[in-house]
Amino acid sequence: MSITINAKGLACPQPVLLTKKALESNDELTIHVDNATAFENVKRFATASGCDVETKKESDGVFGIKITKKKENQLNISQPAEHIYDKDITAPTGGPMVFVIASNMMGSGNDELGAILMKSFVNTTTNLEHCPDIIILYNAGVKLATVEGGAVDDLKALEEKGVKILVCGTCVNFFELNGKIMAGNLSNMYEIADTLSTAGRIVKP
Amino acid sequence: MKNQTYCVAMFDSVSHVIKAEKILKKAGIPHKIIPVPKSISTDCGVCVRFLPDHRNAVTNALMSNVDISNIREIIL
Repeated sequence: MSITINAKGLACPQPVLLTKKALESNDELTIHVDNATAFENVKRFATASGCDVETKKESDGVFGIKITKKKENQLNISQPAEHIYDKDITAPTGGPMVFVIASNMMGSGNDELGAILMKSFVNTTTNLEHCPDIIILYNAGVKLATVEGGAVDDLKALEEKGVKILVCGTCVNFFELNGKIMAGNLSNMYEIADTLSTAGRIVKP
Repeated sequence: MKNQTYCVAMFDSVSHVIKAEKILKKAGIPHKIIPVPKSISTDCGVCVRFLPDHRNAVTNALMSNVDISNIREIIL
């Protein structure tokens, strides 16, 4: 059965949640969104859930995304975590190692010191023997992915090593950094909460 | 990124590093805050890294503003 969802005007993570819900009872759907973050998030969610995705640009900044479940994935849609990270969460480590960077400062007490420490931390992360699998940047942590943040080259180096970097889209909007995020993928609360809840180890500097 | 020759400037305290960073940022001189490389010191310190090409610019900008305790060339 195929349905059409109108998610125009909805902010992240609503479009992804609507998509997830609709895929639980439909094999095919088309969703319309009107912002780039929602477009990227829905597309990525659908791909990670093992669906075929076709996109087309419609008028006035509206994107249409046609999502079709692949036959073998029809039963798995309610367990997106395994598909999103392609990790066996029953493995001995229990899941991916996740670094949560919730601020552009490390610790509290003095903000200038905190900012220096965080840059130093991200730089050191590139040389760790056990690199994280995923890094999440949220709240002021998203600033680190901008050129002014002083850590973008390190984050890029980590991406090249295969580290997945999730950057909170809501936070990017809040700090008016749209178009300035130079590393990582814009993400949403659905994916962030899912990543945290399936992590084997969470490191929060 | 690997095996590039850099200069690192060391300072007597973290507050000097913070001050130096502000000055270099304002002057638009490319630099980066990194932990002091283990080969130089095992102290828990941070330093300012920059390319050897910017050495003069860095020393000029910081001169009479912040005391640099040491500048070393290092391959990172």
